[in-house]
Amino acid sequence: MIVCEGLTKTFGSITAIQDFNIEIPDGRIFGLLGPNGAGKTTTMRMLSCLIQPTAGSAHIDSYEIGKKEDAQKIRGMIGLLPEVPGLYETLGAYKNLDYYAQLYGIPKTQREESIKTTLTNLGLWDRRNEPVGGFSKGMKQKIAIARALIHDPKYIFLDEPTASLDPAAAKMVREYILELKSQGDTILINTHNLSEAERICDTVALVKNRTVKVGSPKELARGLFARTISITMQKIPPSLLKDISSLDFISQAQVNGNQLVLNVRNPEEDNPQVISWLMKQGLQVQFVTEEEHSLEDVYLKLIEEGGR
Amino acid sequence: MRWRNAWIVMRKDLDEFKKQKLVIGSIIAMPIVLGVVLPLVMFVPMVTIVPLERPWDVDGLLEIGALPDDARAPWTNQTMENTSFRSTVISHKILKNTHLNNCIILSCVLDNTTVVDSTIQNSSLSSSFLNNVTVIRSEGTGLDGRYVLAVSSNLAFTKTKPSEIDQVLPLMFNMVLMIFIIIPATLPTIIATYSIVGEKNNRSLEPLLATPTTDGELLAGKIFSAFIPSMASTLLAFTLGVVLLDVVLIPKVAYPLLPNLTWILSILLLAPTACLMSVLACVLVSSKVSDVRAAQQLGGFIVMPVVVLMLGVLSGFIFLSPVMIFVFAGLYGCLDIGLFYFAKAIFNRETILTKWT
Ligand SMILES: Nc1ncnc2c1ncn2[C@@H]1O[C@H](COP(=O)(O)OP(=O)(O)OP(=O)(O)O)[C@@H](O)[C@H]1O
Ligand SMILES: [Mg+2]
Repeated sequence: MIVCEGLTKTFGSITAIQDFNIEIPDGRIFGLLGPNGAGKTTTMRMLSCLIQPTAGSAHIDSYEIGKKEDAQKIRGMIGLLPEVPGLYETLGAYKNLDYYAQLYGIPKTQREESIKTTLTNLGLWDRRNEPVGGFSKGMKQKIAIARALIHDPKYIFLDEPTASLDPAAAKMVREYILELKSQGDTILINTHNLSEAERICDTVALVKNRTVKVGSPKELARGLFARTISITMQKIPPSLLKDISSLDFISQAQVNGNQLVLNVRNPEEDNPQVISWLMKQGLQVQFVTEEEHSLEDVYLKLIEEGGR
Repeated sequence: MRWRNAWIVMRKDLDEFKKQKLVIGSIIAMPIVLGVVLPLVMFVPMVTIVPLERPWDVDGLLEIGALPDDARAPWTNQTMENTSFRSTVISHKILKNTHLNNCIILSCVLDNTTVVDSTIQNSSLSSSFLNNVTVIRSEGTGLDGRYVLAVSSNLAFTKTKPSEIDQVLPLMFNMVLMIFIIIPATLPTIIATYSIVGEKNNRSLEPLLATPTTDGELLAGKIFSAFIPSMASTLLAFTLGVVLLDVVLIPKVAYPLLPNLTWILSILLLAPTACLMSVLACVLVSSKVSDVRAAQQLGGFIVMPVVVLMLGVLSGFIFLSPVMIFVFAGLYGCLDIGLFYFAKAIFNRETILTKWT
C-alpha cells in the first residue's frame, strides 16, 4: 500500500509537484498522467527515496519515505525503471543484470538462473556479452525493465516503460505488467500513452504540478462529460433536429450523416423514451450505442483547459 | 557499511575500465613510459661515461673458507684503474679511480677509490671515500666517509671532493623516485573522473541509487576502483624501475642496492597517501562538473601538493630522506582525512542526482 499525503517538491523557485495525494492499494496498477514537466518523474523519484520531499509525507507499507532508517528497506522492496535506461554501455546485457542482482544480494546460482531465463525470454541470450551500447533503444529498454525486476520487487515503478518500444514489444510489456499485477505486485506507471493507461491502469491520476483528478479511467470520463448516445437510422428528415429538442432531457443534439448524436442525462431511463418518440415519428432505428469518452478526451479537457 | 557492496561496485568499474581504451591505456602505458623509458633516458648517458671495460672478472663472492689464507702473498703489482667491482674478492692489486661495492679487499693499494659495504684488510689507502666499511690492519690518508670501523688501523680523514657521479647520483635517484609519486597522483584523475562523471553522463546513477546500496558503500566502491588500479600501476612501475636501475647501473656505479629505505618508505607511505588525495580530489571535482575532460583538468590542479613536492625535489630544495618522506606522507595523510570527510558530506543521493548534471 502506497499512501501520499500532501507530497510536495520544489527545486528552488520551481514547484515540481505540490500537495500530491494518492492511495494505491496492493495489487493495483496506478497511472500517473500529465504533460511534460508535470512532476511525474519527480514524484517517482521521491517514492524511490532518491530525493527528499520538501513537504508532506508518503508511506510504502509502514515505511516512510524521506526517513533515513526506512530508505534502505524501501529501496529493497521497489524496482525502478528510470526515464533513461542508464545501462553500462560498454558491458554486456548479462553483466548489466548481474551487477544489480549482486547488489540486491541474490545468491549466485539463483542469479545465473534468473538472468538466463530473462535474457532467453527477451531473445538476447545469444548476445548476452555484446556491449549493450550497440543495442537498439527498445532492446536497451527491455534490459532496463528486466533490471528493475531482477529482485522480484513488491512495488514496481515504471517511468514511461513503453516509450521507445515498437507496438509488439509495447504489447509484450503491457501483458507482462498485467501478469505482474496478477502475481500481486503493485505497479506505478508514468506514461503519456493514454490508450495504454486506459487499458491497463486500475486508477489514474492526472497531474500538472498538483493533482488534477484521480479515478478509474471510466469514472473520470463519466464525471466529466454528459453521456452521449448515437442512434443510427435509415433516413433522418431535416426537421428532426428541431423537433427532438422539445424533449427536455436532451441537452444537445447533432446530426452526423445518418447518425443522430444526443447528450442525455441518463441513457438507462432516457433511451426507451427517445426510441418510442422516434418510432412515433415513423422513423426506423437501426442501432443505438453509447459513445464512450476516451481517456484522451478527459486528459485534453482537464489538462489543456481546466488544469491551467 | 557492507564492504561486499563496495566490492561489487568496484568490480563493475574495473570491468568497465577493461573496455575503455583511455583508461586501460593509461594504466598500462604510464608505468612503462615513466618507470622504464624515463629512467633509461636519464641514466644511460651517464653510465656510458663510466668506463665499461673490466680487466678481469671474479663473479660472485667467494666462500669465506675459500679465501686465500696467505694474506702476504707477493704483490702482483697489477694496477686497475677506472673501473668498478661488486661482490668480488680483490687481493694484491693497485686500485685507482675505482668503485668497489660489497667487496673484500686484501693487501691492496687504494687511491682515489670509493668503497661501499666492504671490508679492507692489510691495505694502504689514499684520497678515498669509504661508506659502511670495516678497515683492519691498514693505514690511510686523505680519507672521507661514513660508518667506518677501523680495527688496528691508522686512518687520517680529511674532506675529499666526492666524484661527480657520487654527487649527482642521489639527486637523480630522487628524481626517479618522484616518478613513483607522480604516477599514483595522476592516474586517478583519469580513472576516478571517468568512473563518476561517466556514470553521471550515462544516467546510470539513478537506477543504481534506487538499489539498497548506501551512499557510503558507493563512495567506497568508487574510491577503491580508482585507488587499486592506480597503485597497481605504480607498483608495476616501481618494480620495473628498480630492477632496471640496478641491472643497468650496478655494474658501473657503486651504490647501495635499490630499493633503499627512502624508496621503500615512499612507495609504502607517500605513494598511497598521494594516490588517495588525488582520488578524493577527483570525487569532489566530479561532483561539480559533468564533462570528463574538464574534471580531469581540474583534478590536475588539486594534486598541487604533489607538484609542490616535485618542484622542491627537482630544484634541489628538498632532499628525499626517510624523515622527509614521513613529513610529506603525514601532510598528505592529513589532507586525505579532510578531503574524505568533505567528499562524504557531498556524496549523497539527492545532490548526485539533482545537482550533478
Ligand atoms: N533536478 C532538478 N532541478 C531543478 N528543477 C527540476 C529538477 N528536476 C525536475 N525539475 C523541474 O520539476 C518539474 C517537473 O519535472 P519532472 O521531471 O518531474 O516532470 P515529468 O512530469 O516527469 O515530465 P516528462 O513527462 O517530460 O518526463 C519541471 O519543471 C522540471 O524542470
Ligand atoms: Mg518524466
